[in-house]
Amino acid sequence: MSLLSEVQRRMLRTILGRGAEGASQALSRWLGQEVRLVLGEVEQVELAAAAEALGPPETLVAACLMGLTGPLGGSILLCFEDRAGLALVDILLGQPVGTTTEWGEVERSAAMETTNIVGCAYLNALAAHLPSSLGGSAAHPAGELAPTPPRFFHEFAGSLLEFAMMDQALELGRVLLVKTTFEVGDAGPGLDWTLLFVPDAPSLAALASALSDGDAT
Amino acid sequence: MPLESEAPLVVSVAIGRWAVASPPSRLRTLLGSCVGVVLHDRSAKWGGLAHVVLPDSRGAVDQPGKYADTAIPGLIAEMEQVMRGKSAGRLVAKLAGGASMFQTGPPGAAAAARNIGRMNQEAVEAILDALRIPILSRDLGGEGGRNLHFDPATGRVQIRSPGGAEREM
Repeated sequence: MSLLSEVQRRMLRTILGRGAEGASQALSRWLGQEVRLVLGEVEQVELAAAAEALGPPETLVAACLMGLTGPLGGSILLCFEDRAGLALVDILLGQPVGTTTEWGEVERSAAMETTNIVGCAYLNALAAHLPSSLGGSAAHPAGELAPTPPRFFHEFAGSLLEFAMMDQALELGRVLLVKTTFEVGDAGPGLDWTLLFVPDAPSLAALASALSDGDAT
Repeated sequence: MPLESEAPLVVSVAIGRWAVASPPSRLRTLLGSCVGVVLHDRSAKWGGLAHVVLPDSRGAVDQPGKYADTAIPGLIAEMEQVMRGKSAGRLVAKLAGGASMFQTGPPGAAAAARNIGRMNQEAVEAILDALRIPILSRDLGGEGGRNLHFDPATGRVQIRSPGGAEREM
């Protein structure tokens, strides 16, 4: 299976940029303040490098994972270090950042709902701009691009990424993951979140083929 | 209090790699569905750790640390090189990892990966059996990650899971 070329990666980044825009708007409405998703580069890196995408592998992170169904398979992960994730809960509950100190049922639920909102907005925008050979339910027998319900994890960053990348690792020596960070207005640097888009190996091949056609909208 | 230069060196073993160490150095790695293969020569006090990603190389030679069938022989060869002698009959093993975090997860990316943890375990155990390397203990399976620390001076392997207490293998 071939890796994406530089041109294909640039095209994919343009499409994912639309996803980030859609997610920014949805998240801003959800949190009641300006939030911007900042898309990183589309890179294909060695497993060892990818395992550090969330920082030192032993860092404990909270993460919500949604699987992808339809024309693309893979995962979307919204990850935060504990402090940043718990700050999200404080913002949603309208209390000072630092009030919430542990992941209880309400806190996990808030993280999963936020992931649902961000993930769905991201995928909706993505589906609208995917090459026609991949997007659109009428044209594709696999149906619409949609997420599975989010699941919450409290896990070592390295272990979480290992699980998420395993499907690509089955087929490829290097893995593709697209990292998106967040800029939040009032909350300052405490909100250090990361959204990871990790397509599975067949989707990567389908993307490579579709992007070769050059019909991204 | 020891001087900084005397402090033990902790070598991190990245995914798909292996490393060899002797005291005062120690080895560590983070595991998910991968399997950590700890090999120890108790008399020479040398140790090795391989972070195995997949069970079978299917002939691929470019990333020997990634696959059980190439990583374990590669690790043993490097141990024999640094110990300047054959390790036959002297090595013992401990295994950790092989979890399946996304057991009930999405059908896409995780579906194929769901059984990898178990397949890695089976492959590693079969290879060690063929090499007649006894497995002293296992900390395998489950749904969560593991932070593994190995001290070649004692052969002790310590495991920590997220939110859990440290345990010794």
